Amino acid sequence: MERTATSRGGPTVGENGSVERRTVLKAAGASLATLGLATTTACGGDSGGSGDGTVEIRFAWWGAEERAKRINQTIALFEKKYPKIKVKTDFQDYVAFWEKFQTQAAGGNPPDVFQNAVAYLRKYDKRSVLLDLKSQVDAGNLSLKNFRAGVEKVGEVDGKLLGIPVGSNTMSLVLDEKVFEKAGIKPEEGWTWDEYFAALKKIHDSQKVAGDTGYFGIMYLYDLYLRQNGKAFFTEDGLGFDEADLTEWWQDGYNRVKAGIITDPKKVEQNKPKSSLASGDAASEFTWDNFTVRYATEGDSTYGLAPIPTTDGKQTGQYLSSLMLSGSARTKHPKEVAQFIDFMVHDPEVGKIMGYDRGILATTEQFDAYKPTDAPNQAIAKYEEDVAAAGVLGTITPHPAGADTVEAAFLRIAGDLSQGKTKVSDAVKQFFSEAETALAA
Amino acid sequence: MGTAVTTLIKDSPPDTPQARPGPPAAVKRRGRRENLAGYLFMSPWIAGFLLLTAGPMAASLYFAFTDYNLFDSPKWIGLDNFTKMLDDPRWQKSVEVTAKYVVIGTPLKLLLALGVALLLAQSRRGQAFYRAAFYAPSLIGASVSVGFVWRALFSDDAVVDRTQSFFGWDVGGWVGNPDWVLYSLVALTVWQFGAPMVIFLAGLKQVPKELYEAAEVDGAGPFKRFWSITLPMISPVLFFNVLLETIHSFQIFGSAYVVSNATCGPADSTLVYTCYLYQKGFKEAQMGFASAMAWMLLLAVALVTAVLFWSQKRWVHYEEASR
Repeated sequence: MERTATSRGGPTVGENGSVERRTVLKAAGASLATLGLATTTACGGDSGGSGDGTVEIRFAWWGAEERAKRINQTIALFEKKYPKIKVKTDFQDYVAFWEKFQTQAAGGNPPDVFQNAVAYLRKYDKRSVLLDLKSQVDAGNLSLKNFRAGVEKVGEVDGKLLGIPVGSNTMSLVLDEKVFEKAGIKPEEGWTWDEYFAALKKIHDSQKVAGDTGYFGIMYLYDLYLRQNGKAFFTEDGLGFDEADLTEWWQDGYNRVKAGIITDPKKVEQNKPKSSLASGDAASEFTWDNFTVRYATEGDSTYGLAPIPTTDGKQTGQYLSSLMLSGSARTKHPKEVAQFIDFMVHDPEVGKIMGYDRGILATTEQFDAYKPTDAPNQAIAKYEEDVAAAGVLGTITPHPAGADTVEAAFLRIAGDLSQGKTKVSDAVKQFFSEAETALAA
Repeated sequence: MGTAVTTLIKDSPPDTPQARPGPPAAVKRRGRRENLAGYLFMSPWIAGFLLLTAGPMAASLYFAFTDYNLFDSPKWIGLDNFTKMLDDPRWQKSVEVTAKYVVIGTPLKLLLALGVALLLAQSRRGQAFYRAAFYAPSLIGASVSVGFVWRALFSDDAVVDRTQSFFGWDVGGWVGNPDWVLYSLVALTVWQFGAPMVIFLAGLKQVPKELYEAAEVDGAGPFKRFWSITLPMISPVLFFNVLLETIHSFQIFGSAYVVSNATCGPADSTLVYTCYLYQKGFKEAQMGFASAMAWMLLLAVALVTAVLFWSQKRWVHYEEASR
């Protein structure tokens, strides 16, 4: 610049001004570009189609590394069969998944297809997030044939088809088989709660192992207990039990913690994310049957499945629940979404790859294609057969909107209670007040 | 560039009316042009500030007075969020937990920082190494991975538990124990005393040596010298550290979230304020309530800061003439 100045005998304002103006304009252009870029990134990410008719759909689900590996294999198969559809995946663990999903859905940018569960159907239907798949079924892009035991009804809410099940599971009691054998206890179909708690006491007295990891905080188990007694946890728009019911349930639970037949809640907390059953601090735990695989990898003992205790020696209150695939109401490619779901639930190869990772395979094509060879998966298959044969299965009540928050509150408050930080009466009051807020929101 | 500019002004074109009082129009034009250029250069930052800071803050202030679940449009409910908050036992618990954390953690951290700074202020061999070693935790301490390490250290049958049991003091791990777990978070913040320590060190270096020499001649012992010289002389630095660390403590989130395995428990014992705010906003989708909580936190921090500023004339000494 100085060189130019001397050669021309000093720059004039005009000249220099124009130089400056250019720089200024460039700077302005640059910052506008930055802004423009920011805007595109913010609003972009639309799974738009490109020139050759290829579309991209986003698929999100919760789970861990193992599930990710399997799902990626199935997607590779899908893309081979449908070369014009590209699938972009995204996964987190359960809690993080719903946090992220909520934010995305609120921003109008949820994934095109995603894993779903019964607690979220009404909640997101109410907010018009979920695609009603009925029209896609009518258009022939998605088949509802060959589902086992009428499990496809799980995704039906208020006449809309909001999710297609990929697998079914049911609540069960997982045992440390070695401990139960040593104590000489053989759980039988139709056993009662009294017999169950007597068994726990025997185990505690003879082998110095606490019995259960904290049954009274599990919402789905309490639902079974209520159903055994002609009630239910949820009605279509609220709670199906009253304060007296819960007071009894929690008071008994607390007394059993004090008596030492339930694992010390401090221990349970410290073992997380591992289960206290797997760490050897408990002899049994109520959970979904397909989780048995998890204990086998986490712990050293052998784990088996036992029937749910009953009130009358007959009814367990059980039903089949399910992981589902749902579509977004805002997707630009409902047809491709339906084709993807159809492939995922019907293709036999997919069944072979996924196994019982998301529950017992939902369609007969997949169920017949996969025959488990390892002990935990065989045990799960047998358990579901037994439960079905026993004729105890009922149907699930679609949860009201806010059910997810109610479940979290139930678990948390039961935890506070077992730690001795809240009195039973206060805990019950707090639960009902939080549930009311959540269900009204 | 600077010289070029002055040359330019001298060489202004003849059509400029020189006689008028005040700066010539060309200069004015230049000034305006320079301002414009300045603003344009700043525009990415200004845009960022408006879009990412001022905008969200204004929005959050509005949401604080609404019922907003992220999906339906916000409903104006006036002060309801604030009154609901005061009645909410979990909100009260979160205030209690945070207050406990601030009141116990901050003084301990500052005491340790000052103590170590006093030791390191003297010239010794390997001084640089020790300074770096004590400062290191401050650099890595905020990371999530340290939270996981902490959870592992304070779990049942881990290092801390075993050491304690060895001395016959058996509480089991701190992590699952609602009476203890908050102290593991306090330990985590105290362990990161490096940043205030460095500031104390700088302050200690500023104290004139002659004062100590004079005091020694007068027969003042080490404690007397510390109390009457060091402390008053570094009181501005101390004030700065108290202010900064207090504000910082109020905002604790990451360590509580990670150590509690994302539950802020057990039994809400690590339910610090921001953790509850996060749960309300992102888990329960009560953005209005969460925004109201955020503004309450801002108010509380502003109030504490104001009290600290008000108190400083009683204990902070600024040496006006010394430099």
